[in-house]
Amino acid sequence: MTRRAIETDVCIVGSGISAAMVAERLARTTAAKILVVEAGDDTVPLAQRAAARERFLRYNENPWGRDHLEGYDVEGPLQSRSMQVGGLAMHWGAVTPRFSPEDFKQRSLYGVGTDWPITYEELDPFYQEAEELMGVAGEQGPEDLDPRGKPFPLPMIPLTYNLELLKKWASSAGIAMWSQPSAKNSIPYRGRPQCCRNDTCSPICPIGAKYSPDFTWSALRRANRITLTTRTLVRKLVLSPDGKTVSHAVAVSSDRPDQPVELRAKVFVVAAGYAWSSHLLLLSAQENAPNGVANSSGLVGKYLAGHRNVQTIVELPLRLYPGMNEQHSLVTKQFMRLKAGSEYVRHDLRIWESSNGRAPRLVDDKGALMLGDAILDDWRNRTKTGTARVRAYYDVIPDRASELTLDPARKNAYGDPLPKLSFRDAPESVSIRARTEDSIRTLFADMARAGNGRLLRTPTVDNFQDHPSGGCRMGSDASSSVVDSWGRAHDHENLFVVGAPTCVSGSCANATLTFCALALRSAREMEKGLPQAATTRSGGLE
Amino acid sequence: MPMTRRGFLASLAATVPLAVIVRRAHAAAVEHVQGDPATLDALALTLLPSKLGRAAIMREAAAFRDWATKYKENAELVHGYGTSRLRSTGPTPLTRWTSQLDQLDADAQRLRQRRFRDLSATDRDQVVRDALKNERLDRMPPVVDANHVAVALLAHFYESPGAADLCYEAQIGRQTCRPLAAQASKPRPVLKVLEK
Repeated sequence: MTRRAIETDVCIVGSGISAAMVAERLARTTAAKILVVEAGDDTVPLAQRAAARERFLRYNENPWGRDHLEGYDVEGPLQSRSMQVGGLAMHWGAVTPRFSPEDFKQRSLYGVGTDWPITYEELDPFYQEAEELMGVAGEQGPEDLDPRGKPFPLPMIPLTYNLELLKKWASSAGIAMWSQPSAKNSIPYRGRPQCCRNDTCSPICPIGAKYSPDFTWSALRRANRITLTTRTLVRKLVLSPDGKTVSHAVAVSSDRPDQPVELRAKVFVVAAGYAWSSHLLLLSAQENAPNGVANSSGLVGKYLAGHRNVQTIVELPLRLYPGMNEQHSLVTKQFMRLKAGSEYVRHDLRIWESSNGRAPRLVDDKGALMLGDAILDDWRNRTKTGTARVRAYYDVIPDRASELTLDPARKNAYGDPLPKLSFRDAPESVSIRARTEDSIRTLFADMARAGNGRLLRTPTVDNFQDHPSGGCRMGSDASSSVVDSWGRAHDHENLFVVGAPTCVSGSCANATLTFCALALRSAREMEKGLPQAATTRSGGLE
Repeated sequence: MPMTRRGFLASLAATVPLAVIVRRAHAAAVEHVQGDPATLDALALTLLPSKLGRAAIMREAAAFRDWATKYKENAELVHGYGTSRLRSTGPTPLTRWTSQLDQLDADAQRLRQRRFRDLSATDRDQVVRDALKNERLDRMPPVVDANHVAVALLAHFYESPGAADLCYEAQIGRQTCRPLAAQASKPRPVLKVLEK
């Protein structure tokens, strides 16, 4: 069997948002030759997204076409089946809060979990860089709770009329809230238009006001700064004889499955998200790495992190107009910092406008069928007061056995075992779960009371651990972590794992911006071994 | 004697594979609902709020027809969150719905020896109520999940941005492109928004 070989300086596995951050920075600051390898197809072009959105609105059809690989039904809670250029951030909600300073030192401050090997302050400039690359619109929260080195690059998404009323309600309950930071253009930015409230950010923005990685890829391709190879699955990282470096990767193209591709690079960057990064490292077991690449600690695939949420609907004596901008919300970090001497309970809090509990109906309270004007009259009567959706994400401390393993029972078309996922709370997290959920339920009830409202339904807990991360956690000690604080594998000097997999914990806020900041910080370290650019480039994004 | 739609479907069933039958049945249903819109129009006049006015109700009926005829079977649905399971759209509901439109006509014939479209408003209302007697009506379902064409037509209208504007008597314009800055203000009142 003939092997096709490709030589490059940097080989990035995956084309999701963390990969885009790394490629953009390296293209800007170095003269390195960059190859990006994506297992899925190219994504739907911007010009076709309005039509795709229409089909989604009408029929709930996937607006991203067939953005998956066949035969990848895995056991366990995979976040999404999507695999395409841009990754899951093609259909993300673009909600971009930062983690809080406390997230990075939970053990030191509160005696739970594990401290990260970096501080919030060290990550701050990379948060800023990510926010500027994507175009994050935000409102400065109280500076002690929401510290930042520089202002948001874009003015905040204005609060809707509904959210202004709901903000006053929260304030009456003693909670200061502000506009959720979002990677959506509040003003035209980097060639993309201002948001016009199409309100289908997730799964699809029809005009490109929401940042998605394809914009970075398009710019880098136009500027001839990268080669992006699609439909090419990296199956294995092969180590040098001494095991200190990755010598090459073995990939297969869906279009020429009989001809493996050998990818040779000075630096390898695994940027395939929380699931597929660990999966590739485990699949790469070989003679001098019998448990998988970068796995001398035995921790590849371990400590998968995330957070659960408690949610309810509150009925309020307010005249609200749902539909003004349903995906935008209020947020507070008030509950992410513990008061001195209090028990460990940490969560965020957000409020959205809602039409929940206010949908038109076919039968009245007595069960009689309504037709014609009766349905509209009934609907009007029931919408004189409004409802709000209230949700709190709370900390889950990951257990070692919260893990991704290779599933001997399921294999892909090339005979490689698929991943199997299982999330588990650490024992200390199990003990605080009930207390946390009770505390949030009490908070919701207090909030409803403060607004002369009521809970429309009992608060529910979503057991899915949202915004998953981990699997290749960072740390200073090679025996208790997979990569260092830069994302460099302890075991192999030219191998980086970036973004989601490197997280130590999942915080209680959306994590994508943190993945991006971590990836940019990793890229900064990679620069040291690469040919520097004669002048700093824009990366083609302008 | 020209072959009826039911006769056509029966003859198909005897000679061709199931997938082909389904495709042809959808095509026949499309032709039926587009070629003879009067029953559906009359149903819309029975079900939708009179405040819309006749012209707007006819537009809503046409929009529903458009929805139904452009439905695609076996299209990939939005991916679930937290699962690798993929889902696709099911068989077209239009064949069932066109049969139900035929049935409304048959019921009208039994009641008044007239077609459904020729009944009085009161009689149309009665025929529809009888038709829905055994339907599950505990909620307004997504259009595609509506078993009966009457419920589907209602669901299609009530999930539209226009219906929300009519309910709230305000220019909300849900899921339409609107100036971002305007969201800070209370939506402007709207009068007879759909009566264009």
